Amino acid sequence: MGGASREDMSQGQERAQSRAHEMDLIREAQAGSRAAFDVLVRRYEHQVLRLALHLTGSEPDAEDIYQDAFLKAFRYIGNFRFECSFYTWVYRIVTNLCLDQLRRRKTRREDHAVVLDRGGDEIDVLASVSDNRSFSNPARELDRKLLGEKIQAALTKLTPRERMVFELKHYQGLRLRTIGEILNTTEETAKNTLFRATKKLRAQLAELR
Amino acid sequence: MNCELAHERIVTAAYGELPDELAHELERHVAACPDCQKEREKVLALRVVADAHPVAEPSPNLIARARLRLDEMLDTLPPKRWYERLSERILNSFASLQAAPMAALLLALAGAGAGLLGGYEFALNRAAHAATTARSAVPVGAQIQSAPALPELANVAGISSIVRQPNSEIVAVSYNQLVPRHAEGPVDDPAIRQLLMLATEDAASPRVRNDSVALLAAECRTGHGCQPSGIREALMVALRYDRSPRVRQKALEGLEPYVADDVRVRDAVLEAVLSDSDPAIRTAAIGLLDPVDADTSVRQVLYSVSNSDQNSQIRNVSRQVLSRVPEIQ
Repeated sequence: MGGASREDMSQGQERAQSRAHEMDLIREAQAGSRAAFDVLVRRYEHQVLRLALHLTGSEPDAEDIYQDAFLKAFRYIGNFRFECSFYTWVYRIVTNLCLDQLRRRKTRREDHAVVLDRGGDEIDVLASVSDNRSFSNPARELDRKLLGEKIQAALTKLTPRERMVFELKHYQGLRLRTIGEILNTTEETAKNTLFRATKKLRAQLAELR
Repeated sequence: MNCELAHERIVTAAYGELPDELAHELERHVAACPDCQKEREKVLALRVVADAHPVAEPSPNLIARARLRLDEMLDTLPPKRWYERLSERILNSFASLQAAPMAALLLALAGAGAGLLGGYEFALNRAAHAATTARSAVPVGAQIQSAPALPELANVAGISSIVRQPNSEIVAVSYNQLVPRHAEGPVDDPAIRQLLMLATEDAASPRVRNDSVALLAAECRTGHGCQPSGIREALMVALRYDRSPRVRQKALEGLEPYVADDVRVRDAVLEAVLSDSDPAIRTAAIGLLDPVDADTSVRQVLYSVSNSDQNSQIRNVSRQVLSRVPEIQ
């Protein structure tokens, strides 16, 4: 019990130190330091790319979102006022860019059922995820791939905002409160949007049951 | 709890976001409601099914490529200037005041009030001061006074006209402070000279600059003491930087008496020889170098110009001057 509490305390101290370090980096970046900004980019780039890649299903689009997001962050880091975490601030930029992208797609009626790489070739996302289950076999893999495509198609039927809330909650595992902050709305609205999204998805995927 | 509310809470609970007290209430309802039990199964099934579209980790290639492109883009951005960072800070300070609207409002009101009061007091003082110094015969919109004291010239916003009275040393200068003003006095009056020198730099009109430089140049040529009051410097500045060829020509004429003795003047004239855009001024400047006593820099400039200048007339004139070098005193 005492050991667990000491562990919690040391984790808390580490978090506080990391946060203080990040604040120093942000201040340096605000003063014009490229090196400090680069450290911040390295800290969040993985999450940014993962979110953009999953939402857009396209490597070139994810790369564009990455560029635009960090260029915007660099340009406007002077406006960051430490009212929220830097993570939330960066995610806010990224989600806005992703929402724009999803809205453009909605108007173009583009449905990507697979992930595209830089050359426009299809990437089998499911194949890139290791499946350690003992019953894993080619037929099963094919089923999973088809299922994944159906889910992806169902996700594209959601409104961009519903899609974003579902993405951030289900796939990125963020708290509803954080999602509300990122999307400049309340936790309650995020909760209602999640409810609507799950309802629509269930209707879309009803045939699978 | 009705079923509609229970359905919403089932989703929240499925994602671990339902508070404990509500979770217990939900459990009791679901235990007694077959519809809600089915609903919960469907929500949990969706969670499992949705995981069949997994989140792919970005490949190292993608990360490296994105980084490289970002670095290139960032390299092309110009660094932020100090005033941009300052304005950001000011905006941030104002934005942080939004959190305290009353404080922001009071601060804004206090600032505006202080500004208005200060401006009003300043204008009153200036008007009172102007009234005491103005002469009785005041033309519409302008206040005439004899040459003002030097400290009063600190706030001159611009010179609007310079007129020399015929056959006289008296010069009339119209200038702007808070109100239009007019001063008269002899050219060698320090205040008039100060106004004339201001006119060489500040006047928006080439005519005013030309008048002021012509008067100052005449003062220098007649040997009325150009050095202590900085007239020589003003003429050198006009020769180097004035946009009007006429003004530069006048400045050059004013500097003529000092070419032989003052190295700074000689340098300004040499610069004019090398780089003035007007060939007439360059020719005149070469002519001024005649009496210079074998100054090596003068000879170098003349030699360079005589050999490589694009203008044949300039080359000829400089050759003529160079040919007289042994005769130069």
